[in-house]
This record gives sequence, C-alpha cells and structure tokens, in this order.
Amino acid sequence: MLKTKVAPSLAGLARPDKNKSNMSSSELPRKEANVLKGHEGAVLAARFNSDGNYCLSCGKDRTIRLWNPHRGIHIKNYKSHGREVRDVHVTPDNSKLCSCGGDRQIFYWDVSTGRVIRKFRGHDGEVNAVKFNEYASVVVSAGYDRSLRAWDCRSHSTEPIQIIDSFLDTVMSVCLTKTEIIGGSVDGTVRTFDIRIGREISDDLGQPVNCISMSNDGNCILASCLDSSIRLLDRSTGELLQEYKGHACKSYKMDCCLTNSDAHVIGGSEDGSIFFWDLVDASVVSKFRAHSSVVTSVSYHPKDNCMITSSVDGSVRVWKT
Amino acid sequence: MDSDEEDYVFFGTPIEREEEITNRRKKAAAEASGNLRALPPWKQEVRDEEGRRRFHGAFTGGFSAGYFNTVGTKEGWAPQSFTSSRKNRAEVKQQSIFNFLDEDEKAELEGTLGTSSQFDTFGFTAAEHARKQADKEQKQRPSAIPGPVPDELVLPASESIGVKLLLKMGWRHGRAINDSRASSLYDARREARKALLAFASEDAKAPCPADEPVEEPESFTVQPSDDDTRSSQSLPAFVCNPKQDLHGLGYDPFKHAPEFREKKRLHLLNDKQRGDRKTMSIKDSLFGSKSGKAAPGFGIGALEEYDAEDEDIYAAGYDFEETCIEDDEEPSRLGIESKQPSRLSIESKQKVVARDQGVLPGFKVASVSDYQLERFDPPVIPKDFVPHHKFPGPLETLKKLDVPSPPEVPPPDDSNLKLLIEGVAKLVARCGKLFEDLSRKKNQSNPLFSFLSGGNGHDYYERRLWEEHQKFGDQAKLLLDGKLSPSTQKMTAESRGKLLGEKPLERSSRETTTSSVASGEFQLQFNLSDTFKKPDSFSKLPEVAKPFKDDPAKQERFEQFLKEKYEGGLRSTGYTAASNMSEAARAREKLDFEAAAEAIEKGKRGKESMVPTQPLDFLASGMQFTSGGLEQVENSHAEDLVTKKMYPRREEFQWRPSPILCKRFDLIDPFMGKPPPAPRARSKIDSLLFIPDSVKVAKPEEVAITNRDVPAAQTGAQMTIEDVAEQEIEIVAENVERPVDLYKAIFSDDSDDDVEDLNTKKAQDPEKKTEVATTALNRLIAGDFLESLGKELGFEVPPDTPYSTNKANDLRIETPNSDSGNAKLSTGTYLNPGNETAQDGDSQKSKSIPVRSGGYNSGKHTVGLLNVSGKVNEDKFAQEDKKVKSPSSRRRNWSSSSSSEDERSRKHSKRHRYRSSDSYSDPSSDDREHYCSRSKGKRERSSREKSSRSRKHSKDHKHRSRDSPSRSHRGSEREHSEARKEKRKRRD
Repeated sequence: MLKTKVAPSLAGLARPDKNKSNMSSSELPRKEANVLKGHEGAVLAARFNSDGNYCLSCGKDRTIRLWNPHRGIHIKNYKSHGREVRDVHVTPDNSKLCSCGGDRQIFYWDVSTGRVIRKFRGHDGEVNAVKFNEYASVVVSAGYDRSLRAWDCRSHSTEPIQIIDSFLDTVMSVCLTKTEIIGGSVDGTVRTFDIRIGREISDDLGQPVNCISMSNDGNCILASCLDSSIRLLDRSTGELLQEYKGHACKSYKMDCCLTNSDAHVIGGSEDGSIFFWDLVDASVVSKFRAHSSVVTSVSYHPKDNCMITSSVDGSVRVWKT
Repeated sequence: MDSDEEDYVFFGTPIEREEEITNRRKKAAAEASGNLRALPPWKQEVRDEEGRRRFHGAFTGGFSAGYFNTVGTKEGWAPQSFTSSRKNRAEVKQQSIFNFLDEDEKAELEGTLGTSSQFDTFGFTAAEHARKQADKEQKQRPSAIPGPVPDELVLPASESIGVKLLLKMGWRHGRAINDSRASSLYDARREARKALLAFASEDAKAPCPADEPVEEPESFTVQPSDDDTRSSQSLPAFVCNPKQDLHGLGYDPFKHAPEFREKKRLHLLNDKQRGDRKTMSIKDSLFGSKSGKAAPGFGIGALEEYDAEDEDIYAAGYDFEETCIEDDEEPSRLGIESKQPSRLSIESKQKVVARDQGVLPGFKVASVSDYQLERFDPPVIPKDFVPHHKFPGPLETLKKLDVPSPPEVPPPDDSNLKLLIEGVAKLVARCGKLFEDLSRKKNQSNPLFSFLSGGNGHDYYERRLWEEHQKFGDQAKLLLDGKLSPSTQKMTAESRGKLLGEKPLERSSRETTTSSVASGEFQLQFNLSDTFKKPDSFSKLPEVAKPFKDDPAKQERFEQFLKEKYEGGLRSTGYTAASNMSEAARAREKLDFEAAAEAIEKGKRGKESMVPTQPLDFLASGMQFTSGGLEQVENSHAEDLVTKKMYPRREEFQWRPSPILCKRFDLIDPFMGKPPPAPRARSKIDSLLFIPDSVKVAKPEEVAITNRDVPAAQTGAQMTIEDVAEQEIEIVAENVERPVDLYKAIFSDDSDDDVEDLNTKKAQDPEKKTEVATTALNRLIAGDFLESLGKELGFEVPPDTPYSTNKANDLRIETPNSDSGNAKLSTGTYLNPGNETAQDGDSQKSKSIPVRSGGYNSGKHTVGLLNVSGKVNEDKFAQEDKKVKSPSSRRRNWSSSSSSEDERSRKHSKRHRYRSSDSYSDPSSDDREHYCSRSKGKRERSSREKSSRSRKHSKDHKHRSRDSPSRSHRGSEREHSEARKEKRKRRD
C-alpha cells in the first residue's frame, strides 16, 4: 500500500537524471580518499561549501576548520567559540560563515580574515543548528530553548528579527528554502514556516526528529528520527513516503542527507558505519564501517560522487568512488 | 588694522609672561634653600609652612610635638589623668533604635513587646540541644579532629532549617522521611486511642483505665522510633570521612580530574586494610551524574565551571576496570553465602597486588614461591538442580489466615466496648500477638478488657481480629514472599524453624520464653517497616508481570530492585545478590530492570489508554525479556501500527513573519498593512480598565461580524473588513469612555472638572470654532449619505432619530461622539466616491456603522455629554485621525500583554503616523488625508496635527474635560458604571 503511494510522488522527486539509471551502488562513494585530522575530540559537523571545493568542520574542541577535502589540506582555523561548536554554514559566495554551539551564541565570521563580524546572542540554550538564507542576509538558528530565531546580517542589530517559538521541545535542525523556514524538533514535528503565505505547517512524526534535510529538488524532507529510522516526507502533502531503517540512531545528534542525484539516502549510525538506502524501495544498498565511533555528520558533494563524514572519533573522512 | 599688524616687524625680546616668571622664581628659591626634590633624601629637610625645622636629630631635641613641645594648648593647660588606650579600647557603640528617637517617641515605644531569651526555643536552647546531639554523635563516629574537642572551639550548629521544618511537620530524629501519617499503623493507633478516649469521656468514674491504655499504644510506637534505638527504618547515620589529607577544607584536588581520584583511592585501598569504608559506591559512578567527566584532550576556560553541558556524552562507555574491586565491599546484609566467593576473589586479588607493590627495597619478588594456594574444583552441580530455592510454605501470617474463620458474631450492645474491641483488634492485627498478650497482662484487673481473656465480647473480638488479619494479610503475604528482606535476615529460631518445616511451638509456651519477645519485636519492626513503605506497589506485581520468569534468580533480583526503587532513596540496601556477576552484566541488568519496571508501571496505569509508543518500543526492540513481557510486546506492536496510521499528522496554523524577515527574504509580507495579531489572553484587569462602555453595546454585532468573517479571514480583503469594523467599534469605544472616568466617577467631584475644562477650553479656543463648524457640516452630509449608501448595499440604516430627538429635547445636548464618527466616515467616502479601495473599505465601514451608531444612540447612552466646548469634538477628530492612520496602533491601550513583535510593529507604525504614504496605513487614511487637505487646506491640517500632538500631552485633561460639567453628570456616570458592570458580567 505504501509503495503504490510512493511511486507517483517519487516520479517527480527522482529527477530524470541520466546518471540516475547508471548510478548503481558501485558508484557510491565508498573509498576513503582522505582523512582530515586535526580536531581534538569529537567532530560534530562537517559541511561542504556550496560548490563542493571546500569543507568545514567543527567540533568539541571549540574550533571550526576549513579544509580542502580533495587534497586533504587544512586551510584555516576559526577560534572564538567558548564551548563546542555544533553547526556551521557558509554563504553561497564563500565570504561569510555562521556557526553556533554550546555557548548559546551565533557567530558570524568573515571567512578570509577569520574574524568574528558579529555575535548574535539571545538563545536561552545551546544552539543546535544554523543556516544562511539564500541571499546570506539572514541567519536562522535552532536552539535548545525550543525556538528558531532569525538574525539579520545586514543591519547592525543583534536582536533577532523573528523568533519562532511554537515548538514544544528542542529544535534540532533547520533548513531554509527561498521562501520557507523548516525546523525539526524533538517534539516530533517538522514545522514549515512559509513566509509567503504566512502559514505554519506542522507535520507530526510522532518521534523526536534529530535532523532534517531537504531533497535537492526541494519536494521532500528527510527527517532522521530518534527511533532509529529516517523518514521521507512529501512536503506538499505531508505524506510519509518511505522509512529507512537498519542503522542505530537513538541518542546522538546525527545528520542524514541525500545524494546529489536524490537516488540514495545516506545516514550514519551510532556504531560508526554509514548506510546507503535506495530512495524508493528503502533497501540498504550499501553499508560499511567508516569510523570507530558515532558518525555525527554526513555531507554530500553538490555535484560529484563525493562525501564527507565526521565522527566522534575526531576525524573527518572524505569518501569517493 | 589687522592687515597693518601683519606688516610690523618686531625687534628685541618680548616681555615674558608673569606666570613664567613666578615659576622660575619659585624654582630658584627652592634651589637656594636646598629644598628641591632632586636632592638625595639624606640631604632633604622637613620644614613646616613657616620654614621652621620641626624634626631634629635624636640627640638634638628629637621631634617637636604638641604645643611647643608641651602638653599645653593655645588656650592653656588643663590637668588630666592619663588613660592608656592600650587597655581601654574605645568601646564599640551598639546602636539601637533608641539612639535615634526623641524622648516622646521613646515614651511611645515603651509599651511595645520585645523578645526575651526566656522563650527562645531556637537560639540558646536549640544550640544546647545541638551540642548534646553532637556529643552523642561524636561518640559514634570519628570526628574531623581526633580526640576530645573543647566546647569553646567547636560550636555545633543548631538544627538546619530543613530539619526544623521536618520537625514541625512531625518528623523525629531517627525516622525515615515517609508518609508515615498515611500509614495504616498510625490509623490503627489513632482509632484505638479514639476508642479509649471515647470510653473515658463517657465513663469518667471508671477507676484507672483511662490512663493506662492511652499510654500503651504510645509506648509501642514511640519506643522503636526513638532516637537511640535506631530501629531498622531509621536513617543510616551519615558517616563522615575523617579528613586525612593536607589540603584546605573543601579543597578537592581532583575536582577536574576524577580519574586521578580513582587512582589515588585505589592506591590507598591497596595500602590499607580492607576494612576501610569507601565513600563512593559503584552505582554512583555508574548511574549518577557524570559531571566532571569531560572530553579528553581539552578543558574549558579557567573561569568557567563544569556543568552538565560539558559532559563528554561521546565517551565510549563506563570504565569498569578500576572500580570493580570496590563494589564487592558494599555492605551487604543479605546473602552471606553469596558473598563468600567475592571475598575470596578480593583476597586473591589483593595478594597479587601486594606482591607487586609491597616489596621491600633491596628485596626482590621471588619468581617461584613456595606457598601455593591449593585450589579445588568446585563440586559438580547436578543437572536438575535449580539454583533458586522455593520455600514450601508461606510464613506466619499466612498460617494465621488458614485458621478457619470464627463465626459471625453480632457486636456487643455497648458501642463503646465495640469501638474498643475494634481498635484493639486492629492494633493486634498489625502489631502481632504480642500486643494482645501485653495488653491482656496489663489489663487483667480491668473488667473492660475482659474480652481479651474470654470474657464479655470475646467472640466479637475473635471475629474482628480475624477480619483484620484477613484485611492486612495480603499485604503482609506479599511482603513476605516477595523478598528475603533485610529485616527477615535477622531470623529468629522460630522463623528458621518455620523455614525448615518445623512445627511451631505453642503460643502459650512462647509467652514465657524470651524468644517470644524477640519474635514479637521482630514482627513489630517488620510491620512498622511495612507501614513506612508502599506495599501497594507490590500488590499488583505478581499478577501483572514477572518479566524474568525463566530465570528465578534474576526475577528475585528484579523484585529486590523494585523494592529498593519503591522504598525511595533514603536507604539503600546493598544490591548484593548478584555480586558474582561482572560489573558490566550488572549494569546491563539494572538497565533491564529499570525498563521492565517502567513497562510494568505503564501497564498498570491502564492498558486501554494508549501510551505514546516510545517506551514500549524500547521494550519491543530486543530487550532480553522473557515470556512475562510478551503481551506487552504485542501490545506495542499493535500500537506501532496505530501510530503508523496516525503519523505523520499535518496541521496548519497561522504564522506571522515579521516584515523585516520578509524583506530579507525578498518576499512580500503577506500581512502587510494589517494590524498585529491580537494579544492572546487579556487579563481581567485589562478588560476592567480598558474596555469602554459602548463596546458592550457593539459587542454582539462585533461577534456577528467576526463570525462572518473569520472563516474566510485568510484573504486580505476580508481581513481588512474585519479590521475596519473592529476599528470603528473601538474608535467609538475610546471616545465614549476612558478608564480614568471610572475612578473619577468614584473619587472626585465635578468641581475640579469645571476648572480643568475651562482651562483647556481657553487654550484650544481658536481651533475649536473652525472644528465645530466643520463637524456640523459633516454631520449634515453624513446623515444623507449614510442612508443612501445603506440602501445601496441593502442594509437597514436606522434613522438618525435619537440624534434629532436629542436635539429637539434639549438643544444643548449633543452626541458629538457618534456624530464625529459618522461625519468622519461619510466625509471620507463622500469626497472620494471614485476610489475603488475607498469604496470597498467604506462600504464595509458602513456595514458596521448602522450597528454602531444605532447601538450607541438607542442604548441608555443618551448621556448628558454636554458638548459646551467644541473642543471635545475636535479632540475626537484628532483622535480618530490618528486611529485611522495607524491601524496597528489601535491596540495601544489594549495590548499590554502583547508580544514584543507587536510592539515593534507598533512602534514602526507610530513612527510613520504622519506620513501619508505609509505602507501600513489603511487605505482610508489616504482618503482622510485627501479630504483634509482639500477641505481645510494645509494650515488647518497642520493645526490639527499639532492639536493631536498636544493632545498626547494633555491627555489627562481631556479625559476629564470630556465629561463636561452638567447636572445630570453624576447620574449618567452611575449609569455608565452600571452598564460597565453588566458588560463585565457578560464578558465573564
């Protein structure tokens, strides 16, 4: 019953990509190309920049590091956070960074100088995730204080320009589209705030949502839940399209993502392995042990078959086909 | 002149300024006298202001002091006896309130109460008590400072506030903190006492029985809970660790490095005898807070404290290897036989350690030791052996239940006797036979208690006793078979015999033996402990779930665990049954237990009510539960299906992005030009203060309007409709009533109104006249237009009769408020008939207006609001003007509790109030502007703005002046307040 539902809506989802048919499990990035070492302690997030040439990682050692993952070079170190850094995001033009973490602040960095341009204070708890909007004019942060806050990068005010506090529990993750703010919370909801029509759409999954990530075509939301399953939601209808299981995700903040062709779902596991699921039939296409400990973050290259993973074991690994 | 000056050529040296000269002179003088700073110190001399040397060398006169080196003064010399301040220090004055009072005030204060140490129960006496207590405690345990401590040095603190509070609530030293009040023993005791008291009061002449029996239950209960005896349910005395290191008090060298603490402790442990107590139990380190356990490699700043956030949640697991030795040492009251192997292992381990460490310098550990521990293989356990001993029969209380019930007996006629019997039976059932025996012995002479020894009412007593046993049997039974509790560990000969299946001795014979006392005591304790726990929690256990049925030992441990859990944290009985298990296994098992306990709890709470699936999911996903938990697992499966159907669930809400957010996202604000969302809940006070009268009248209509509009309120146009309607209503509302008036009506009289009014009138006189003229004109136009518009739209427009009748009746009385409302509206529409948006907005307005004006005029509110000064009218106008222009500010008075967002937008709109091209302004505001400029010209408008601005300053004046003086003023006010009351009622 589920599959019959899935099929039509996925027709739109899976792009008519020529790669897609070719994209078998053999082309999944499973070979370790580089290990980026430098973080002391757990690495909590690793993110590609928008063109995929660089990547950023942040971790328990209160630093943000900029790498060239393809050559395995550490480029720069951003130090200013007072506690662990939980998330980092870079603007599309690579000029600015934003980061957040345990010190309840959002830092707005200049990439080239490594200086903090602005600090946004206001969250009453740790900040779990942070994202720029498309124009890099607004930073939206998700915090332990059950709120999403939008901060203005253009003006000099350090007050949030919007506080969304309709969540009932910690907001773990945030995604932005051109017109929407989407947040995933431990209260089990994925809430979409549509700025255009002024509506809040709440999809209750019934399980604490750990991480959300958008499909590349923007039609679906991938929500990793703490019951060790990843759920795929249709954004327009709120339908549950598919569930991906097999990994362990019960207590850590862990990322999940889709490949750039939207053909596979990638998720880490608490035992250090990486899972690839087929998007449509939810079968585990591939699974390998990537790290010795919890995989905190996965990020997929926007164009190539390349992936970076970070782990509590302190390393960031680059995977290629 | 200036230009001339420039051409001058100066010769010679210019004359120096005076300051410079004086400076130089001073310098020279200083140099001459050798008094310059630059001189080396030994060459410098101290001189006074007159240039005399006052310090001489020690041999040339010393220091010249006083008045020319005498004790005299300028005025002369007065003899005085010398007092050394060395001994008589200046006294510290104790200030009291009397230092600052005048005589008469002191006299007034004479008679007041003061404190007296005589009645001080907390200060001195409490301190005394505390000292005694401390003495006693010191005898029991090693103190921080070895040896006897002089009392002056160590003053024990009196009871802490917590203890005081507990004491006030009936707690006593040595008692567990529990709801002992609710305990059944307490009830029984009270009942017995009640019975006795009732009897005593009735039968005052009865010789002695009143005294003795009352005392008896007391002696039973007080004794075991006495401070000294420290019965089984008392708190364990907290054993302080004597301070043995050289660090300062409270200094913890291992605060941020707990692993070293472990190391050190281990080290000490190996060095010392095994008997040493350790403070931290393994369970603490396992399941307690892990704070201070930071991630390796880096810390946090020196000024920051470790807290929960800094825990290394990513740490691999628990480190057992260091602590497993200690745990075996946990005081165990249970399972001596099970403890044996663990002790052995400790000893052997220690020997190994000692071999490594305890080597004297110069000696070497022998590679081959002569002494070899002989080891024997354990005996082979027969295959059919079950390592769980099941007791063949239940214990004593159950035996009692087996006794055939005595026949039903009608209670004795004497109700007092009946009460007494019931009380005693209850008590006996609780406290055991011993109580009965004792009371029988004591009351041998008392005829009342003859029922104990087979006299009057004995049958009934038997019956009651049996019933009571029946009643409490279950509880006791569960307690008995549920555990080999710590208290049962103290076995008496009888209980042991019972276990072995021996026939119990006769009761009569037991009475005389000492062992009977012991057994009685045991039972008493047992029952007391029963009362302090919650036996109910076990009562369902056997039926509901035995999650570990397959493994009886485990099941037993589980029950033990449950018991500990329900007992609360006050007393931790050693969790020793599984001491032969590895630490990891134990930890896992404990987790299992917790999960199972939770599941059972859940199951108990009601199987029909579908619990959110998470905990049950936890159960389902591969816990090592055996058969017992099966139904629940299935249950959760079913629930899973249910939830799958339930989730995901989609809901939609209204959400208002802030305008700046829209701007930054490059989107058009969907709520552009709309007022901020309504404040959520207005408090009662708010509604009391800020809801004016006419709202009451308009209320039903408002509701109707909103009802009509709200369902479709998503679209912008309709939103505006609603808003406009509301706005209109509120405008009127504001005009009619102000919160100030409520107080004015009550607290002030009209006279000052007059004065105020006159003042303001004078001030605004010139503006007034033109306003009056325009409003009069407007009114005329308004009436016509409204009618025609109403017809056009198919609405019934009430004729302006109230107004006209007013006019007819009393020419002086006008209703300027309603008028101005009409006027405003109509003029706006009248002058811009072609404007589409205006038409739209105004047609909506007209919808609401009949409602409003009709309501207003037809109500009781043909109020004598005398508009002698047209200023009021003008005020209204200005006010409305403002209102319309800044729709979002319309709630300024209302939304005291509104969100900051609202506030911001409100500010925003305020800022733009006077700009005609404000994006937030209502379409009609444009019309108004238009109208204003056309009809009155620029000057007029500016003057109005001015007036409205000045209005802000003189708001207060206006409020007063609006209720202009009139004879009927008071009456009308009364009406107002009455109406207000009504309205409030309706709101509530």
